[in-house]
Amino acid sequence: MDFWLKNIRSIQLLTLITLGQALGQAAERFDYHSIRKPASAAVEGVLEGEFLQASGKARPQDMKGFGAGWSGDAHLLWDGEVGDANTVEFEVPKAGQYTLAMQWTLAPDYGQFEVRLNGSLVETKLDLFSPDVQLAKLRELGEVELKEGTQRIEIKLIGGNAKAKKYRDKGYLYGLDYLRLKDLAPKPVREKEPERPEVVAVDFAEARSLMKAHCFRCHGVKKVKGKVNLEALAKRADVLKKVELARHAAEALAKAEMPPEDEPQPASVERAKLAAFFEGVVDEYVSANTTLEPVVMRRLNRYEYNNAVRDLLELRGDIYPLPEKVIRSSQYFDPASGRMPKGVTVGNRTLGKFQVERQILTGVDPFAIDLQAEHGFNNQGEQLSIPPILLESLLKLGRAIVSAKEFDDYTELRDTFFKDDGQPVATRLGPFLERAFRSPVDAETLNRYAAYHAGVQKRTGSYKEAIKSVVAAVLASPKFIYVVETKQGARAKTPANDYELAQRLALFLWSSIPDELLLGAAREGRLRQPAVLEAQVRRMLNDRRSRALAQNFARQWLRLDQLITAVPDFDRFQVYYSRIGCEQWKFGLQTMVEPLLLFESVQVEDRSIMLFVDSNYAYRSDELQAWYTKPEAPFGTRGNRSRFNTFTQVFRKRQLTTRREGGLMTTAAVLTMTSTPLRTSPIKRGAWVATVIFNDPPPPPPDVVPEIEADDAAIEAKGLTIRERLKQHATDQTCASCHARIDPLGFVLESFDPIGRWRDQYRGGRNIDVSGKLFGEADFNDIEQFKDAILARPDKFMRAFSEHLLSYALGRELKVTDKPAIDRITRRVLADHGRFSTVVVEIAKSMPFRHKTGQNERK
Amino acid sequence: MNFLKNTNIPRRTFLHGCGAALALPFLDVMQAHGAKTAAPKRVAFFYTPNGVAQEAWHPKETGHNFALSRTLQPLAPVRKKISLFTNLDRVKVPGTDGHAQAGACYLSTAAPDELSPAGYPLKRTIDQVIADTAGKVTPFRSLELSCNSFTDNRESVYFDNISWYGHGHVARSIKDPRKVFQRLFNVKEHQANASVLDLVRADAKDLQGRLGRLDRHKLDEYMDSVRTVEQQVERITKHQVDARDLGIEQPEKLWTTMRRDEYIQVMGDLMILALQTDLTRVSTMMVSPERWDTPLRFEDVFEKPIRHHGWTHNQNNKQVLSDLEKLDLFHMRQFARLCQKMDVIQEGEGTLLDNMMFTYGSGLSSGMLHECTNLPTVIAGSAGGQLKTNRHDQHAKGTPIANLWVSMAKAMGCPVQQLGDSSGVLKGFLV
Repeated sequence: MDFWLKNIRSIQLLTLITLGQALGQAAERFDYHSIRKPASAAVEGVLEGEFLQASGKARPQDMKGFGAGWSGDAHLLWDGEVGDANTVEFEVPKAGQYTLAMQWTLAPDYGQFEVRLNGSLVETKLDLFSPDVQLAKLRELGEVELKEGTQRIEIKLIGGNAKAKKYRDKGYLYGLDYLRLKDLAPKPVREKEPERPEVVAVDFAEARSLMKAHCFRCHGVKKVKGKVNLEALAKRADVLKKVELARHAAEALAKAEMPPEDEPQPASVERAKLAAFFEGVVDEYVSANTTLEPVVMRRLNRYEYNNAVRDLLELRGDIYPLPEKVIRSSQYFDPASGRMPKGVTVGNRTLGKFQVERQILTGVDPFAIDLQAEHGFNNQGEQLSIPPILLESLLKLGRAIVSAKEFDDYTELRDTFFKDDGQPVATRLGPFLERAFRSPVDAETLNRYAAYHAGVQKRTGSYKEAIKSVVAAVLASPKFIYVVETKQGARAKTPANDYELAQRLALFLWSSIPDELLLGAAREGRLRQPAVLEAQVRRMLNDRRSRALAQNFARQWLRLDQLITAVPDFDRFQVYYSRIGCEQWKFGLQTMVEPLLLFESVQVEDRSIMLFVDSNYAYRSDELQAWYTKPEAPFGTRGNRSRFNTFTQVFRKRQLTTRREGGLMTTAAVLTMTSTPLRTSPIKRGAWVATVIFNDPPPPPPDVVPEIEADDAAIEAKGLTIRERLKQHATDQTCASCHARIDPLGFVLESFDPIGRWRDQYRGGRNIDVSGKLFGEADFNDIEQFKDAILARPDKFMRAFSEHLLSYALGRELKVTDKPAIDRITRRVLADHGRFSTVVVEIAKSMPFRHKTGQNERK
Repeated sequence: MNFLKNTNIPRRTFLHGCGAALALPFLDVMQAHGAKTAAPKRVAFFYTPNGVAQEAWHPKETGHNFALSRTLQPLAPVRKKISLFTNLDRVKVPGTDGHAQAGACYLSTAAPDELSPAGYPLKRTIDQVIADTAGKVTPFRSLELSCNSFTDNRESVYFDNISWYGHGHVARSIKDPRKVFQRLFNVKEHQANASVLDLVRADAKDLQGRLGRLDRHKLDEYMDSVRTVEQQVERITKHQVDARDLGIEQPEKLWTTMRRDEYIQVMGDLMILALQTDLTRVSTMMVSPERWDTPLRFEDVFEKPIRHHGWTHNQNNKQVLSDLEKLDLFHMRQFARLCQKMDVIQEGEGTLLDNMMFTYGSGLSSGMLHECTNLPTVIAGSAGGQLKTNRHDQHAKGTPIANLWVSMAKAMGCPVQQLGDSSGVLKGFLV
């Protein structure tokens, strides 16, 4: 790579509010609402025309139909009459000498133009006429001097070629594919490393005396609660040996989970010191033990298999219906535009009978769904094996796909890969296998597949049949099905090679295989260069395929599947069911779309992830809006309810008027799926918040689990609120410490009924007590204060979100050795105020993502 | 060798009380094998989750011809062919979920130090161990079925599978009866599978040298599966059990629209069909997954969808307890009905049931405290007269259920000495 243009990012004005906090920490409060995707982003110095900030009638045009070659498969299209002009703008991060080149499109109705850069003429008469639609020769405009900031290019229509056809009988068009900028004096741009918080060194003697005062009574020689004996750790080295324990201790202290609430509490300085001691031990351990947890080779899951086949065979859509895809519309999702439409019309897979799955390709059925790990995602090797029954499915699937009657019209490769062009088959099998297997293809493998092709062709007399058989075999090959990484000679920490990195990126961002651009960078051995890596990540995020993050990651992160079988009581919550007297039609499933659209909007518009905690907008259908604002009659009348449309709904962006709403926690979907049919379940809600929002999942419930009454009416009949009832339940000491951690996170949501509607008091008239304390330091008395408490400690959520996403990206659980990487990611995400793309980029650049671990040393 | 023939027995004999589903013809396996060969012995497991209500389960009497308890009443018609075992225990490992362990570890009862990376004591389960021997001649080494009709993704793989090849290698069950049908009887589809096996095996061999230790285990799974599929094709081709010859068609109704009892019976019918036609000799059937606290409908038993798991923790409530007993009774009826179906299928002197060990069990005894001592265990059939039946054997407290697994394996002619925490064979198991 001969140039590198620092990614251009417009500077946001931030509203800084400093909150005085209980412990005197001054956290920076930033305006997370204002963070947006910048107007244009450069990929290796190339500014795509379609992403440029342009005036007037300019608009992006998809160029796929005109053949390959257009960068990003699109260009910027403009039309006007002679004399009209428009401007496009881009930004450069620093003043200096650059070379500029412009790639135009030629066409029969394109005109002649004058082009000015920052006022000076660079093209006097650019003629874009051609009898065919094609790319022009790249126009090198030579060296230009640019100041820092916004640059303007004015493009003025001055006439038309005599042979050119007028556009709409009036004027002419232009098409601009991209601008290429090359910095002639690139200085290495050093990224500012956000400051590490200062660590206070606390020595063992002091820590031990603090432990003696506050911990040993329950975690000592006499009593060993939770199998934790701190007294047995007689020297610092002993603590080092129990690093997982140290990590838990540091966390429990920092979050004020220990000592338990009803025990004497240490002074805040003491608490901080003891936490710092354990933190120090953990840091010492991880700096000496950098061996990453090995990732076990896994197979593609059902969602990834679909995407991989779709992309490999360049299909027009999915190969089978995927219940994993909740939202049934892809039209609006366009991350390159950086904007979500104000309203989207979407179908909802989970809603109603009309969404029953039909085959897309005749005879092609998905294999069984892959279940999620208990605390993680459905991409962990330990859960993904290939028993005979699955191998049978895969063998059958491969055949069924290529022999489906719709297939030939469904693949873009019909007239290329699947058609005999007289050349030896190996010439086209080579690139195909490289892409399918995500690795270079050796001669032996190539010959094997070519020989197989020859055999089938001889037998059937058909080139096409033979190539289809090859494809069917490839789709069942372990090289396609498994996520293979070479471990030969791999040690504790070996950089993943370029192809492996390409594969990791494609699975992470697209749940698919690499495309040609990514493979190209790998083939040339450039992908491991940090700048190239980052540019590729940003390009991939701009691609529609990045929707996999919303469909696959977000759905699992939020555990939204659990809404599907939530059954609010039919008699008490009739509004949940759209047809009177019919339990099959759950109107309430519409709520599932809301959190997913919030996620998509943050992703597409590259906003701050803090919006997941609290947003001032939501995407809702009219009925769903009424669900929140007119809970007693969201449908208006009974008649409306029966006419409710189960095919599609229009979800509009609504500005929220109350901070009770906004973010993920208070969506009806989350609140409903964490309730039982006849009452809320603060424990389930609390466990959800602990797991999803703070990535601090509670341990599995103990064996002694007395069930609470199923109906809140039965609880209220005893004169109790559910909170009081649960308090009785948690008096048992063995339960108390866990419940002290989980329950307050659920109690705060008690202002919402079992289907997520606001309530001021319980049905029996009792007041709702939602008060509590977050991390032992921030009191809250309502949901707004609770959100504020999280927002005032943004690093906590940013860390948790980064951990979830890193675990998803790696396909394994995180371990203590990942802590330095997470620390670093969190610092950078915090410095960038939680921008979504920053989380993704930092994960892709992190040590665990770029490295692999050998597996032979460990027993 | 096409030996299967049709009879005119109406399907109602099998599917009494259920909607239209699958018509089971009688097939005389003995005739097929030639009168001189003894009928093969077969083993199947019928797993119910979350334990059972204790008081209604346990009979007051032990020994021969004991009086059936309330929950065991449905077994009355086949009572002479059943054995009940009590005081059999499973190992429990703290730190992982009680229900996941109940399901995933029930048939392996791995020792606590044999932990998988996820913390579960998982090993090759006894059905698979038996299949290593008993599956050597049948087209399918084993058949794994599940009647999990939940459509959401609530619990992990450990709650949803009782059969495992080993660590992280689940013997995935089939939930869709039509898929079971296709797998058992679509010979052509199996034969088509064979065409690319050499090619993909060569790819697998390429990979072997490049992988790490853990990865190679994963690849071994693949290689094993390639071998299994290959053998299946070979044996199915030889066996030639074709649905057309049987005169049966795949279940008409979509499984997601079936009543609960219908679903279990149709799945059971398919299992019986596979055992009867010697397509396999080993099968597991998980009636519901563990925990999965989503309400589930039981038509004609409860008015509203119910939460089995939730109830088990609330057994102190009399009403809940009586509902729980009703549910246990429902499951027992399903089991008994399948036993009866097996018992009318003649095989030589006896019936299919006589040549079976059809085991009813759960990985928990009482769900209330996730107890795994005194697990509910009934075996129907005598493995060709090897077992005493019509008896209730009360074993010494703390007897590992693994001893039963070892004994059953022996009865199946499988040379197993030890499994998990087993301490020998089960006393008095064989005649």
